[in-house]
Amino acid sequence: MSRSVGIIANPASGKDIRRLVAHGSVFDNNEKINIIRRVLLGLDALGIEQVLAMPDISGLARQAAEKANVSFPVALLDMPLKNSAVDSTWAAAMMAEAGVGCIVTLGGDGTNRAVAKGCGYVPLVPISTGTNNAFPVMVEGTLAGLAAAVVAQRIPGVREAGIRLARRLDVYRNGELIDFALVDVVAYAERFVASGAIWDPHKIRTVVLAHPRPGTIGASAIGGYLPQAAVNGKAGMWLELGDGGKRVLAPIAPGLITELSVKSYRTLKVGEQGVITIAPSVLALDGEREIPIKPDQRIEVRLSQNGPHVVDVTAALQAAGQKGVFIRANHI
Amino acid sequence: MALEKETLLNLYRNIVLIRTFEERVGEMYYEDKLPAFDIAAGPIPGEMHLYSGQEAVAAGVCAHLRPDDPVTSTHRPHGHLIAKGVDLNAMMAEIFGKKTGLCQGKGGHMHLFDPATHFGCGGIVGGGIPHAVGAALAIKKRHEDRVAVSFFGEGAANIGAFHESINLAAVWKLPVVFVVEDNLYAISVPKEASTSVRSNAERGAAYGIPAVQVDGQNAVAVYEAAKEAIDRARRGEGPSLIEAICYRFRGHFEGDAEGYLGADEKSTWKEKDPINILGAQLKEQGWLTDAEAEAIQAEMTRRVAAAETFARESPYPAPEEALENLFA
Ligand SMILES: Cc1ncc(C[n+]2csc(CCOP(=O)(O)OP(=O)(O)O)c2C)c(N)n1
Ligand SMILES: [Mg+2]
Repeated sequence: MSRSVGIIANPASGKDIRRLVAHGSVFDNNEKINIIRRVLLGLDALGIEQVLAMPDISGLARQAAEKANVSFPVALLDMPLKNSAVDSTWAAAMMAEAGVGCIVTLGGDGTNRAVAKGCGYVPLVPISTGTNNAFPVMVEGTLAGLAAAVVAQRIPGVREAGIRLARRLDVYRNGELIDFALVDVVAYAERFVASGAIWDPHKIRTVVLAHPRPGTIGASAIGGYLPQAAVNGKAGMWLELGDGGKRVLAPIAPGLITELSVKSYRTLKVGEQGVITIAPSVLALDGEREIPIKPDQRIEVRLSQNGPHVVDVTAALQAAGQKGVFIRANHI
Repeated sequence: MALEKETLLNLYRNIVLIRTFEERVGEMYYEDKLPAFDIAAGPIPGEMHLYSGQEAVAAGVCAHLRPDDPVTSTHRPHGHLIAKGVDLNAMMAEIFGKKTGLCQGKGGHMHLFDPATHFGCGGIVGGGIPHAVGAALAIKKRHEDRVAVSFFGEGAANIGAFHESINLAAVWKLPVVFVVEDNLYAISVPKEASTSVRSNAERGAAYGIPAVQVDGQNAVAVYEAAKEAIDRARRGEGPSLIEAICYRFRGHFEGDAEGYLGADEKSTWKEKDPINILGAQLKEQGWLTDAEAEAIQAEMTRRVAAAETFARESPYPAPEEALENLFA
């Protein structure tokens, strides 16, 4: 068991172009500080003895610790800051190395993708700080803190009930694994990464989903709304979009519900792969344009079971409750 | 709309022109001022705030503007005005204080007014923000489809005028885009020491207008965000704010000892030179060769040299004209 928990909060999330091209709202850093404060109080209530936090130029964790007045030290990792996603990957790796029992993340899909590159087997409690995320969930910080505490301390039965192994979409370029997505890979008919987000339905060409999900915003909804989609959770999905296909209405960004034309779609089982044929284009990973691809490159996407371990907050707390974790001795 | 070759090449040309202009002004500024720094001496008297490093912001935003779209700027105005399409000769002459300048030599580098491109600026930090909102109110009252843009620094976002302006623009739903150029410092003061929030995009949210943060060193990212903000304003959907994270490669003013900078700070940021970033993107697409990049540089050097010659050869205003065309 571990009495130590990590916190990785991305100061940059919640401000991208989706505020202009869709109806996303700005998620301010003072609210992130408030959330971390409630996470810390949740951890404190269940006997966590140390928190390791990623430092950042905004001082999110430091300010939260000052305000929360908890009984344990909040240690900022001693690491150089690049003020980019690399910080989150690095922090996650350092936390895993230090033996934390759980990592709480604050950010969007991109933040969690970066953390997943470094966290190894340490389970994540991903708190969404935005309205356009498919991987992290909107959950109260207090509950996230309590759940992280019971998971970190390996209360018997909690891990079995409250943790699932996430899938991953591995991206290969000319046979070499170059990156992965947690939720979706989209071939977007544009040449540049530019402002990152994807929102123009006419440029969304190939969509690969780790999970077709009717309950989320973004490309994963497109698959989720198709009849006969593999919504039973067992398989992913491969879709080709283009004129003359089946027209599907889907929420691809906050407040942006649009028709897309799906020419073909098939399920994608774990271990299966396909080839992206749209080039030049930019591969968007979890909704962020990341990798420009050229016609002479062979790009394959394979569904794998190598994603991070993710905590289901409600299930973890329920299991802990059954074990009597929340029952306190009567005062005499 | 796709990011087309011609559009992005123009963006590149604009950025190179601004850099070339600024670096040349930076050289000429020191003529006759040294060894003991004499601010009144030389062909360009007075203070000088150069824009090198931030070019992607001006170019990326102004690419979507028409000559009749009003723009207000700051004490660091050259990039915005060049991107707006000014006559380079008249601009350079004004910086030299010559009669052929935009303001007949009476404004100088910080007071460049150009009716042809609907441009104004000034040395009062935050002073241009209400002007842009006023212009936007006029546009709305006249039912025109023009858009006002105000460029200002993250330091200016702590001035009362910013908050009053953004509030009124939101209340009246005016066609104005606020562009905060966050270059990390107001003179020597880092933003953390002056600003209660980390990001000025959060302040947009506080006033109920859409606000986004973009990488101000990446011209294509600025271009894309600015297109959405400006199109939106033109359609009558109201104001928005763009926060561009950027960096100035020269001091706050020429002569700044820059004692406030971290050890490797400037060299780290110079790795994110907007010219190199866009140049690499264009080359990657096969849209620009090394030879073409050199030709663009040579063309811009020629244009700036021509403006310099024009400015140097132009007459100063006569002493008896000192009070002409002034208002106060
Ligand atoms: C009202 C006012 N206060 C103070 C000054 C002195 N001053 C000139 S530039 C400057 C800093 C402006 O910083 P910022 O807005 O971030 O723009 P930057 O110089 O970084 O482009 C200050 C304080 C001024 N010109 N006007
Ligand atoms: Mg500044």
